[in-house]
Amino acid sequence: MRTKKICLGFVLGALLSLAATVHAAASNPDLDFYKGKTVTYIVSTKTGGGYDTYARLVARYMQKYLPGSKVIVKNVPGAGHIIGANTIYQAAPDGLTIGTFNTGLIYGQIVGQEGIQFDLNKFSWIGKANSETRVFVVGAKTPYKSFKDIMESKSPIKMPSSGVGSEDHNETVILAAALPANFQVVPGYAGKEAEMAILRGEVPAVLGSYTGLSGLIAAKEGRALMQYGSENGIPELNGVPHINSISVSPAGKSMIDLVNSIDVIGRLTAAPPGMPAGRLAVLREAYKKALTDADLIKDAKKYNLGLDPAYGEEVQRLVAAGINQSPDNLKMLRQIIKTD
Amino acid sequence: MEVWDAIWAGLGGAVSWPAFGLMLMAIPIGLVIGIIPGMGGNMGLALLIPFTFGMDPISGFALLLGMHAVVHTGGSIPAILFDTPGTGPNAATCIEGFPMAQKGEAGRALGAALTSSMLGGVLGAVFMALVIPVVRPMVLSFGPPEFFMLAMMGVAFISLMSGNSILKGLMAGGMGLVISFVGMDPQTGVVRFSFGILELMDGINIVTIVVGLFAVAEVIDMGIKGGAIAHSKSPNLKGSGVMQGVKDCFLNWWLVMRCSVIGNIIGIIPGLGGDAAAFICYGHALQTTKRRDEYGKGCVEGVLATDAAHNSKEGGALIPTLAFGVPGSSGMAILLGAFMILGVSPGKEMFTEHLDLVFSMVWVLVFANIIAVAICLPLAGTMAKITFLRTSVMIPFILVCGILGSYLTTSRIGDILITVLFGVIGYGMKKFDYARGPLILGIVLGKIAENALHVSLNLYGMKFIFEPIAFVILLITLATVFFPVYQSYARKKKEARK
Repeated sequence: MRTKKICLGFVLGALLSLAATVHAAASNPDLDFYKGKTVTYIVSTKTGGGYDTYARLVARYMQKYLPGSKVIVKNVPGAGHIIGANTIYQAAPDGLTIGTFNTGLIYGQIVGQEGIQFDLNKFSWIGKANSETRVFVVGAKTPYKSFKDIMESKSPIKMPSSGVGSEDHNETVILAAALPANFQVVPGYAGKEAEMAILRGEVPAVLGSYTGLSGLIAAKEGRALMQYGSENGIPELNGVPHINSISVSPAGKSMIDLVNSIDVIGRLTAAPPGMPAGRLAVLREAYKKALTDADLIKDAKKYNLGLDPAYGEEVQRLVAAGINQSPDNLKMLRQIIKTD
Repeated sequence: MEVWDAIWAGLGGAVSWPAFGLMLMAIPIGLVIGIIPGMGGNMGLALLIPFTFGMDPISGFALLLGMHAVVHTGGSIPAILFDTPGTGPNAATCIEGFPMAQKGEAGRALGAALTSSMLGGVLGAVFMALVIPVVRPMVLSFGPPEFFMLAMMGVAFISLMSGNSILKGLMAGGMGLVISFVGMDPQTGVVRFSFGILELMDGINIVTIVVGLFAVAEVIDMGIKGGAIAHSKSPNLKGSGVMQGVKDCFLNWWLVMRCSVIGNIIGIIPGLGGDAAAFICYGHALQTTKRRDEYGKGCVEGVLATDAAHNSKEGGALIPTLAFGVPGSSGMAILLGAFMILGVSPGKEMFTEHLDLVFSMVWVLVFANIIAVAICLPLAGTMAKITFLRTSVMIPFILVCGILGSYLTTSRIGDILITVLFGVIGYGMKKFDYARGPLILGIVLGKIAENALHVSLNLYGMKFIFEPIAFVILLITLATVFFPVYQSYARKKKEARK
């Protein structure tokens, strides 16, 4: 009797575990697909630098959660991330090509920039790793004590930008129209030259990412008067007002929302459009597991990389909110950031 | 007195364990990265930074600076032997270095380049220490108007670098200028000369061009002529002339010294860049030499000038990085990031409270430069022998080396085509006696000049010419252009009177 029961138990157990195995296999053909496959992660910049570092970190940990796969990083630089984004967009949507590029391409798509062969609305969004806090910094010797002084300035405030059509240029002119503020943009300051211009006193102010400008602020050569983008406070910026606390017109508000949303979607990962739903789900799951992996978090800390992840549909929604502006807004934005 | 304490404390830091050991490890890495075309200091930093986590600051920057300081030392070696610059700034070394190799003086060129880069590096570090008290006014007095005038001063060198025909030199320089316009114009956002090719939107990288213009062109030439790189057997293959090169460096100590100081100053001023430093020093050497006829045909002075410049600018570039948190070059930007991870925060305190740290860096630069050359010099003689090999052996090697360099620099297949195209152009220029230096000069200075002019006009209008320092540079440029004209006029007049 007893043996019978045990036998029954065994049989039942075996059946159950078999069912479980069958179930697992049946529900994850898309995960099994990755066994023995190579996934290419495209980075739209050269090796070294922020995008590359994030990409290599994400790729390493996604490989861990796509069992049996190999995730390799390929750098496809050029034309301000456009070539990389085009390459990802045009890749076969089989889940073996994913990649990263600058969210600032939203501006390019809005004005129909030359060379763009993608529609950001159609990418299969996988996730984003960070949000960027950006700051408005004035030189330590300038008379401006608060952002209110900037907005009330009668004389134009010269603002350096790397060049017409670049992300920082677009941001400067959009904020000038949205706030509004009396900015006069001086293009031609590539990279760190803008900060030198602050030191030399050629221009009173600059805007840029906190990571980029933290050296200037730490050296007490510049004062942050306003922050925008991510609201996840950086301790060093405590007491610096966020742009959302400035009251502006409704049209201005929607433009500021656009700028903020672009900065919030930092270090994104996307796949080509038209992915099979199951495979996209697997990639999103692997991305989510990677970004919540305790070792990745530890590594990010070591490399001094901020983390503020969001996943799948939420990123899709954020991007859509950025691009899908009202016709009036679009017209206005095109006016502001046109490149001729 | 305090400064002396800091110097000694800095020395103590630099020779402490494990910092010194790490630096010894870093030096060969830097040399190899420099020798491999297309791999530069930035890539080296990106590779090494992960190893610095958890290190104390001195060990961390002994590793990073030790590597970074000697990259250009290594980069001159392929420039002299194969006409393929290891890094961008080494492009200038090709101009005199390779013709020296062709004359059978590769050993002498290597000896001169290595010794000069060592002296440049050491003098650069010392000069960096000396200018600490006046760093602020020095760095901040150079803005867009001064950049523009410095670029114009460089343009004036075209006439000196033209060889036999000034007209041909000007044509080459003009072509360089046009090539520098390729890509997106920052002032208007308009893409110029891209022919609809997206990859050209960023412009053409200088290494892509130089490898074609020099290395590939040389390969074509060698393929046609046969023989070896060195056309004549070196008179003393045994010693291979390395010691002669070392001696040259000390015989021309005053030139090396001046170029070190110029290179250092250009390093201190962010915005001109290392490529410009080497070329401006080459132009300076040309301008002040008594042996102008020998230039372009393998004059050791040219090698001395360029190599002193690119190592001395590293010390200079540290200054704005440490003093203001504004890096003087892209490599320094990566270093700054690493410093901040290591807990070294930039700012005025660096030069007051943490002066010993600064001096540790100075010492690391000094040691790294000396040790790197101590490693390379004994090998230089053997390396020089490569230039006596048959071309059929050398051609595949140089082609692979050059094209790999071109590809590694930008990671774009299309750039290999550009390199080959410039190879054909370079061969044509060589055959029809157009100097290639002015072309490179046009490319290097074109972007700086155009941008600086736009920004200056935007900020100050036409008045920018009268910014004091800019105006002085303009006067010097005008003097250097018109003085020879006046001289020859006076000479003719004198002869006519006779």
